[in-house]
Amino acid sequence: MSGFVSPFLVHSAVQAITPLLLAALAGSLCAQAGVFNIALEGQILVGAFAAVAGSFHFAGAAAGVACGAAAATLFALILACGSTMLRGDAIVIGIGMNLLASGLTAYLLRQMFGVSGTFDDPRIIGLPALRIAALDRAPLAAAVFSGQTALTWLAWGVTALIGVGLFRTAPGLRLRGVGAEAGAAATLGVAVGRYRAATVLGAGALTGLAGAQLALGTISVFSEDMSAGRGWIAVVAVMLGRNNPLLAALACVLFGFADAVGLRLQSLGMASQLTDIAPYLVTLAALLLGRRPRQPA
Amino acid sequence: MPPALEARGIVRRYGTLLANDRIDLAVAEGEIHAVMGENGAGKSTLMSILFGMQPPDAGEIRLDGRSVRLHSPADAIARGLFMVHQAFRLFAHLTVWENVVYGQEPRRLLLLDRRAARARVATLAARYGLSVDPDARLGLLPVGVRQRVEILKALHRRVRILILDEPTAVLTPPEREGLFAVMRRLASERCSVLFVTHKLDEVLAVADRVTVLRDGRVAARFATAATTPAAIVEAMTGRAPVPRPPRAALAAGRVLLDVRALTVRAPGRPRLVDEVSFTVRAGEIVGIAGVAGNGQEALVAALVGLRPPDGGRVLLDRRDVTAADVATHRDAGLAYIPEDRAAVGSAAAASIADNMAMGFHRAAPFARGIWQDRAAVRAAAAALIARHGIRAGGVDRPAGALSGGNLQKLVVARELAHGAAVLIAEQPTRGVDLGAIESIHALLAAERAAGRAVLLVSAELSEILALSDRILVMFEGRVLAELAAGTADAQHLGRLLAGQRDAAA
Amino acid sequence: MRRLRPPAAVLAVTAALGLGALLVAASGADPLTAYGAIVTGALAWDTLPNTLNWAVPLVGMTLAAAVPLRGGMVNLGGDGQLVLGGLVAALVPLALPPAPGAFIIALAMLAAVFAAAAYAALAAWGEVRHGIPMLVLSLLLSYPMIGLASWLVGFPLRDHSSGLPQTVLIAASARLPELGAGIGGGALAMLLVAVLAVVADRRLVAGYALRMRGLNPRFAAYGGVRPGRQALAAMAISGGLAGLVGAILVLGAQFRFTDGALLSPGFTWSGLMAALLAGGEPAGAIAAALFFAVLQTGAFAMQRETAVPRVLAMILQAVVILLLAARHGLDRRQAGG
Repeated sequence: MSGFVSPFLVHSAVQAITPLLLAALAGSLCAQAGVFNIALEGQILVGAFAAVAGSFHFAGAAAGVACGAAAATLFALILACGSTMLRGDAIVIGIGMNLLASGLTAYLLRQMFGVSGTFDDPRIIGLPALRIAALDRAPLAAAVFSGQTALTWLAWGVTALIGVGLFRTAPGLRLRGVGAEAGAAATLGVAVGRYRAATVLGAGALTGLAGAQLALGTISVFSEDMSAGRGWIAVVAVMLGRNNPLLAALACVLFGFADAVGLRLQSLGMASQLTDIAPYLVTLAALLLGRRPRQPA
Repeated sequence: MPPALEARGIVRRYGTLLANDRIDLAVAEGEIHAVMGENGAGKSTLMSILFGMQPPDAGEIRLDGRSVRLHSPADAIARGLFMVHQAFRLFAHLTVWENVVYGQEPRRLLLLDRRAARARVATLAARYGLSVDPDARLGLLPVGVRQRVEILKALHRRVRILILDEPTAVLTPPEREGLFAVMRRLASERCSVLFVTHKLDEVLAVADRVTVLRDGRVAARFATAATTPAAIVEAMTGRAPVPRPPRAALAAGRVLLDVRALTVRAPGRPRLVDEVSFTVRAGEIVGIAGVAGNGQEALVAALVGLRPPDGGRVLLDRRDVTAADVATHRDAGLAYIPEDRAAVGSAAAASIADNMAMGFHRAAPFARGIWQDRAAVRAAAAALIARHGIRAGGVDRPAGALSGGNLQKLVVARELAHGAAVLIAEQPTRGVDLGAIESIHALLAAERAAGRAVLLVSAELSEILALSDRILVMFEGRVLAELAAGTADAQHLGRLLAGQRDAAA
Repeated sequence: MRRLRPPAAVLAVTAALGLGALLVAASGADPLTAYGAIVTGALAWDTLPNTLNWAVPLVGMTLAAAVPLRGGMVNLGGDGQLVLGGLVAALVPLALPPAPGAFIIALAMLAAVFAAAAYAALAAWGEVRHGIPMLVLSLLLSYPMIGLASWLVGFPLRDHSSGLPQTVLIAASARLPELGAGIGGGALAMLLVAVLAVVADRRLVAGYALRMRGLNPRFAAYGGVRPGRQALAAMAISGGLAGLVGAILVLGAQFRFTDGALLSPGFTWSGLMAALLAGGEPAGAIAAALFFAVLQTGAFAMQRETAVPRVLAMILQAVVILLLAARHGLDRRQAGG
């Protein structure tokens, strides 16, 4: 077993967690603001595409990350407007956005880079892995902390920041009220629409970072639909965490390890079609175990 | 000195209905001022205008003699007003102190000053005798305590004019006395209190002056010290109070609804319904009286099959339906007028015809096997609209286009149309106008005369007293007492509603 | 979700076409030429059968999405159900001893429908029994099914004579016959299903009950509509339709189960879009599906002739839905809701 839970496994788990975590934080914030955001999948995809395009054009990973965050924020404008000023159904908008993201990235991939399927080019600069030499003699700690991208560090920093912001500041308190009882919040002078729109946009930036990590973190490519259901797993993490971003982060750790275990099994000779299922099976199991006691209607 | 709050010539129209017709109202500093009127007299409209929730079509509002325009409740709050609504505006998942400071939080640097916030809430609570735990989660608190939280919100914002909209509807008599004490204390600190109610004894007990509204107009103004109950009632109803004609005593028939030791549990809380037993016979109306939140809702949900009970038995016309679903209950002869006509009793976007069929759609004449007889559905709907005088404008119009009273009539008409043996009527006249109340009461009485068993659940004591043959008083999930109609009076019932056991003896 | 009034849909489609034109122009092509290529590519006399064959699975997946949607539920697991149906339909003829073709076809289709129906009902069961939201559960159940099917045809059930992960070809006698003029036999089955769906929605007691649930679930439950049973039934029908589409594609066009072949056209999501466009009302949803079929088949021609990628069709569909969602919201806002 100790051979199975290798530093390599832990390392790849931490890598796998990052995009999930960023997206789940985004989803939790939206849920706190009263917006059921199922467009995470599409936002990640837009972020990933823009990150690759940015890195390619401006010849730098940082520029790629900035482009990814900016593009996903812009994309989230659809949900921000749709669920506030236009009062549309967030689920319908989310489904529409996911399709739009899929179609738009595929379209632009062909029009901008003239390829379909996967865009792989040495001029796409990936995010550097930050090695911490001090940890060289502690393999497990090194696996967790060393060799990760700046975005992974950022993701956990943002998690802490959101925890403090949501539960220990006045705007955080207001945000928690906006989602549950918009009418009550509005009566007390809180601009519900503005809180909602700002949250959705901020969440867009976070999912953009998730996409950037996905496209520039371990590999430096973009392929069509490369988000591959991660946005949906993040939605499940939000549900399991009952809209609390810190609990959602815990769920993401679980899913990240499932992902890494899948990879490990693959390296042990198991078919990739089967190991790819692992995160979904863990997610399903978590849903079943973490369900609320059913409330009678 | 100008009045703290003054409304001059307020007019508000809804379509053809004149909800407020040139209303003048003046509330002095430190005064408790009651606004009375029947349902539909225009009280709610006036309050929503005073609190900035909607603009008046004409007229002006003055605070301390200065004309103001209130654009929103937040605007009103900023000017020292605060309104406690009938349906509280609270955050169930937040704590008491979070609810109180929400929107006006004490801060320390970038962070929320939690210690200061808690202290603030504790101090205010102690000073006004509003006992409440600042750290309690609001959703777990009883209704009476939630109201205290609303008042604490007002105090935290240094309220100068407090509007209370029917605040006693959810309170037991002791809680009511506590509220009155707070109102008097506030008045003594030069805060003005605007007290909306339709209960005479409360006005006489606590208010300095009273403005009576009728049909959107000011019908009369009194100083409570210099008036009589009869004069106020006459101003409210436009006629002298008439005693109700005695009802024909009917020989109650066989038991149609038999409830035995029915129990409904709630996780982590006391039982919602605790071993409740009673019967309802053919040709009688049994009233269930109780302050809201004492288990009536759970009892009804269990009786109609929306929520399986955790213990006990229910026999519907001798058929055991204890754990059966709604469809089985309905097949066994149950009709049900739900408390919330809009959220439960109808589908706003569906046509009136579709709304009229629900519940009876599985059987003839609406169904023939698996097929629905659309013609039969529409014809039946048209007949009901005509018979009950529902102003609908056609059976294909959406139910959402109906007024509250007409929608309630639709729900009642539907449930009575099929001669079900047992009728459960839950708050059947809540929030409808006087005309609709009278016709619904007449319909319930006719059901009784036709030999059906009627279970009437109502928070309105007057309704219970007017209609019931027997009255059960519910308190904290139990039936505290059973009274025959003749032996019950409002005062005795009031003590029972508060859970005073000695009154039950 | 209310039934759509035609002007709103027309408006949304027009606006989407306008936005699409901007996108095409921005990428340096002529929008009019591109749209012209779509119309001629889809509706010219000799391409019509092709469009119709494309419309058959699309209409099927549209109805699969529309049935739950009519009751206010969303089935996002169409992909997994479609794959399961296709896989079962591909395996039954291989497993059966020699028998008359019609018998094998009927059995394969039935098996596909029932398998996919049961799998879809699992998502409803999760919600009814365990309170796990069906929206998410249906989608999450989809991924393992796709992976499992992919593994099965990649390893144990693979036709080793071919270079692709796919099953052995079905015997010619067990394939769905053509109706003529290049129109597949599936069209007839789908026509029947479409008529049934419209009639059920408008005339059956069950259709009424589902519609009422979609408009107000508490009202339906209050009236004695059994919510659990109804959710199971709606999802089973939905999954069954997806399974049928899988069977029609395998038995009528592909003649084997090839990994990814059922999913690459994206029928599930296009179908969901079409169903959303009509708020789940079957006749409107079918009309929307036919429109999308024209758009998509025409887009193939457009890509051939103008170098504008055919995913433009997908973008247009998504934009229509987004515009319509906003439009519905505006209506709600004006109604004061």
